[in-house]
Amino acid sequence: MRRYRILHTTTLTYDVPVRSAHNELRMTPINEPGQTTLENRIRIRPLTWSTVYRDHFGTHVTSMESLPAHDRLTIEAISTVERADPAEWPFSPGWAALADPTVQDRHFEWLMVTSRTRPGAGIADLAAGVRDRATPRDAALALAEQLRAEMTYRAGVTGVQSSGEQAWAEKSGVCQDFVHVTIGALRSLGIPARYVSGYLVPKRDAEVGDTATGESHAWVELWDGGWIPIDPTNGAPVGADHVVVARGRDYDDVSPFKGVYSGAGTAILTVAVTFTRLA
Amino acid sequence: MTEPTSPVSLFDGYRRGAAWDEMVAEDGVPRTPYKAVHHTLRSISAGTLKDRADTLARNYIDQGVTFDHAGVERPFPLDAVPRVLSAHEWQIIESGVAQRVSALEAFLDDVYSREGDVPRCVHEGVVPWSLIASSTHYHRAVMGIRPTNGVRVHVSGVDLIRDEAGVFRVLEDNVRVPSGVSYVIANRRAMANVFPEAFSTMRIRPVSDYPRMLLAALRRAAPDGATDPTVVVLTPGVYNSAYFEHALLARMMGVELVEGRDLVCVSGQVRMRTTHGDRPVDVIYRRVDDDFLDPVHFRGDSVLGCAGLVSAMRAGRVTVANALGNGVADDKLIYTYVPDLIRFYLGEDPILPNVETHRCAEPGALAHVLDHLDEMVVKPVDGSGGKGLVVGPRADGATLDTLRAALEGDPRGWIAQPVVQLSTVPTFIDGALVPRHVDLRPFAVNDGERIRVLPGGLTRVALPEGELVVNSSQGGGSKDTWVLAGRDTRTSSPEPLRAGAEMREVVVMSAPTASPEDSMRAQQQQQQQTRITEGGAPC
Amino acid sequence: MLSRIAESLFWIGRHIERADGTARIVDVLRLQLLEDPGANEKEVSRTTLAVMGATHADGAGYAEVGQLLVFDAGYSSSIGGAWTAARENARRARQTLSTELWEAINTTWHRWHNFGQSAVTERHLSWTRERAALISGVADSTMSHDEAWDFLVLGRSLERADMTARLVAAGGLPRGGAPWSVVLSSCGAHQAFMRSQRGLLSDDRAAAFLVLDRAFPRSVYFALREAEGRLAALDPQDGRTAITDEARRQLGRVRTELEFRPVAEVLHDLPGQMQRVQLAVTAAAFAVGSRYFQTGPLPEWTEELI
Repeated sequence: MRRYRILHTTTLTYDVPVRSAHNELRMTPINEPGQTTLENRIRIRPLTWSTVYRDHFGTHVTSMESLPAHDRLTIEAISTVERADPAEWPFSPGWAALADPTVQDRHFEWLMVTSRTRPGAGIADLAAGVRDRATPRDAALALAEQLRAEMTYRAGVTGVQSSGEQAWAEKSGVCQDFVHVTIGALRSLGIPARYVSGYLVPKRDAEVGDTATGESHAWVELWDGGWIPIDPTNGAPVGADHVVVARGRDYDDVSPFKGVYSGAGTAILTVAVTFTRLA
Repeated sequence: MTEPTSPVSLFDGYRRGAAWDEMVAEDGVPRTPYKAVHHTLRSISAGTLKDRADTLARNYIDQGVTFDHAGVERPFPLDAVPRVLSAHEWQIIESGVAQRVSALEAFLDDVYSREGDVPRCVHEGVVPWSLIASSTHYHRAVMGIRPTNGVRVHVSGVDLIRDEAGVFRVLEDNVRVPSGVSYVIANRRAMANVFPEAFSTMRIRPVSDYPRMLLAALRRAAPDGATDPTVVVLTPGVYNSAYFEHALLARMMGVELVEGRDLVCVSGQVRMRTTHGDRPVDVIYRRVDDDFLDPVHFRGDSVLGCAGLVSAMRAGRVTVANALGNGVADDKLIYTYVPDLIRFYLGEDPILPNVETHRCAEPGALAHVLDHLDEMVVKPVDGSGGKGLVVGPRADGATLDTLRAALEGDPRGWIAQPVVQLSTVPTFIDGALVPRHVDLRPFAVNDGERIRVLPGGLTRVALPEGELVVNSSQGGGSKDTWVLAGRDTRTSSPEPLRAGAEMREVVVMSAPTASPEDSMRAQQQQQQQTRITEGGAPC
Repeated sequence: MLSRIAESLFWIGRHIERADGTARIVDVLRLQLLEDPGANEKEVSRTTLAVMGATHADGAGYAEVGQLLVFDAGYSSSIGGAWTAARENARRARQTLSTELWEAINTTWHRWHNFGQSAVTERHLSWTRERAALISGVADSTMSHDEAWDFLVLGRSLERADMTARLVAAGGLPRGGAPWSVVLSSCGAHQAFMRSQRGLLSDDRAAAFLVLDRAFPRSVYFALREAEGRLAALDPQDGRTAITDEARRQLGRVRTELEFRPVAEVLHDLPGQMQRVQLAVTAAAFAVGSRYFQTGPLPEWTEELI
């Protein structure tokens, strides 16, 4: 079990003041078996009104309104989260289960081809290459390994609007891209796969009281008798160092901040995430 | 002296086709509901009818009852010959439409307010989850929002056709932003002015009550705590093809007609900008598509809606009519499951059957459709207004080839129905009466306790001979639709002014007295008082 | 009522009056050139343009002025531009206008386009004045004199004060100015002036009449008072001790100046005084917009995704 305090600060600075900003924030870690969110506060300046709800995918969302003119919007999400050690993976019912039409129907949303997850050129071959593995999860792990061999982790090549196809063409990207490409490949094999966004503690063996800076992170969950998490970007097992915030079909369902504002100003964004180990 | 030759009857040369003719039965005898109309038409000349038809057109131009077709404003085409439905026929339609809307309401509630992972209808195997989850109108942004009085389909238009056996079948459900009711009202007014004799001799159920009915339902849908709810009609603006209807309904309900830029969301409440500051809005009867309603969740460039609207809905501070996300229920694929949904949610058999439909998403069905492509009417699942629709028997080889490729490429995107010969009604074209295919769109209003169906509805006519596509956006015509009152239905004269009987005194105006006799007469008139009793509440 | 609709009505009033006023100003130019063969066409044309606040390349003559001020559909202060803008606003506010008013405006716009657009004739200008008068008359007699009508007349009277001020400025200029008899005729004031002044036409009296006459509806004073009246009707609760409405203050101040200053002083600095009137009208219009129309740019939504 690990307990962390996470401070996620997002600042938007506008060259010309903007008004009437309406946004949706997905910055609240969820509560579920294996993860308990002991505390979550979101401080927003300026703020006129806000409300919270759970969206279709079970993510905690904060809707916020900043009506007066402002040239800076600051959002601080402070969470205290407890992560249990990872549970045993459920038994795999094998490829046959995935072929069952009822399973396919129920997991339709996780098998959909979206613009972000459409497989790029060559993905089909890669996927075909792992189809002979004993179980879907084995195939997924093998696939992720091959992707890591072909794709380089590099920031600045892709943007927040990029698709998996575009990143794959460049053979580089960030965790968001690795996840999109992996999901596209898994779905093409008929394996239900979903996008998970959250945080990855930067130092695995941090001492209690240590503070370190890190980033938001994204990984994959695939269905093989149950939902099994894998981290295609770094190949590490998903455990007590991963904190779940949101799930969805692709990035568009989980983006931490999205909305509109009135005005022509352009925004400069800065994000900072710090982790403090509490237990 | 020679006898004057008998005038040529308008029905001479009237040739019924294979379709069910609503006025004239196989043996040439007029059907019961049409007896009076048939009699009238047989006894007037083509010239007289043409005069009346011209008057109708002219009235519409003068009043600006128009429809935007291909960017040009044209008078709404109203045929001089009405369509008549008997009380019995109407009873079936009314109960069938209400039943259908009930089932769709239950379905929408199941989809958007459900407790479990999947809706009950999916859990029980009635509808596949993929069908709902893949619908472009399934708006996850409104998941979990339940309207105050539970109503999502405040206004619906269920399109009906009549098959070769004279049986009414549902062609399509419309529960998003159904339009056309303003033409129902305008058509009735026009016909009453041009054919007053029909209304005094026949007991035709009125349609003038619609705005009052709609307003009452909208007010009842207001959020809790709104004691005197403010209702508005949200229109995309003057350039929208249905603007005439938005303006008419707002005017007849006595509510403000607003555009997106008049609205603003503050602290989760919708307000409209007036000269006396911002006023709260409780109910929005919106004639703007889902995609344009809230730039936060949908099209980010839209100025037709109000940013923050969905949050206000979620907070229970505003009711949007019809609710967002209804499109998942009038999806053409869901249509094929509606009879099952009626059985599932209501435990009843459907009163109005569907038209036999093949889902191309099913391999067996796709094969059958491809084999009989030239005998089918093929429709895109995501189309509206007849766009993309192909009538097999009338399509050329090239069109069918393109269609074949489209079906094979995206089977889920298409459904097909065998060609149904829609019923025909005599229509006045080029100086003669000829049979033309019609459909019917009755309008239903759900106030949370009852679903009321407006007696009649919009009958759309396909004007070209043999044409089966009646939708007006493709250039069709319309007919006033008369529902005859049953024995126990009270009805009143064409445009009842007040509900309920009332004694009213009329004081006769006096004129300047010019002579003693005049003076005496004036005095008499002043002492005379005419009592007028107004009877018959609208049914 | 909805701010958007109120704003449309305000602008209908202004545009109709602008068409009328522009027709009168161009008519002054036309008559000047007709009646005074010695007048320098270019100088006089330039003066007219300056009075309208319009610019044109050097060497503009009557024809160019006509093109710009009468026909140029892209120029919002031209007659053609004004008819188009009025109709657009009328279309948007159609539900609030009476049927007759809408039809009057719509018909005007349609018929304007049937006119020849090559040369400016007397017909163009007199027809414009007639239609403007018809539309005003129809508005006054077929609309309830409620808030909607108040905004319409407010726009009309503000524009009228402004336009008459410009006309008077045209007459008052020492060089290139128009003879006062011409200015009076163009305001339709010749008869009224003769009756009130017992036929004694002098420059000073004509100017004073057009600026200060309490009874003549086109005088600057009258128009300002009418605008003030509409503002008071829109906000009857305005302070007991002070007028808090900015628009009313602006108009009241300039109107009082004209009313209580010695006439000779007003006439001595006519162009300057008239410019003060124009500035006050602009300030008042802006204040009306801020207060009642919450005038601001249409929200242009920018999406953000992080």
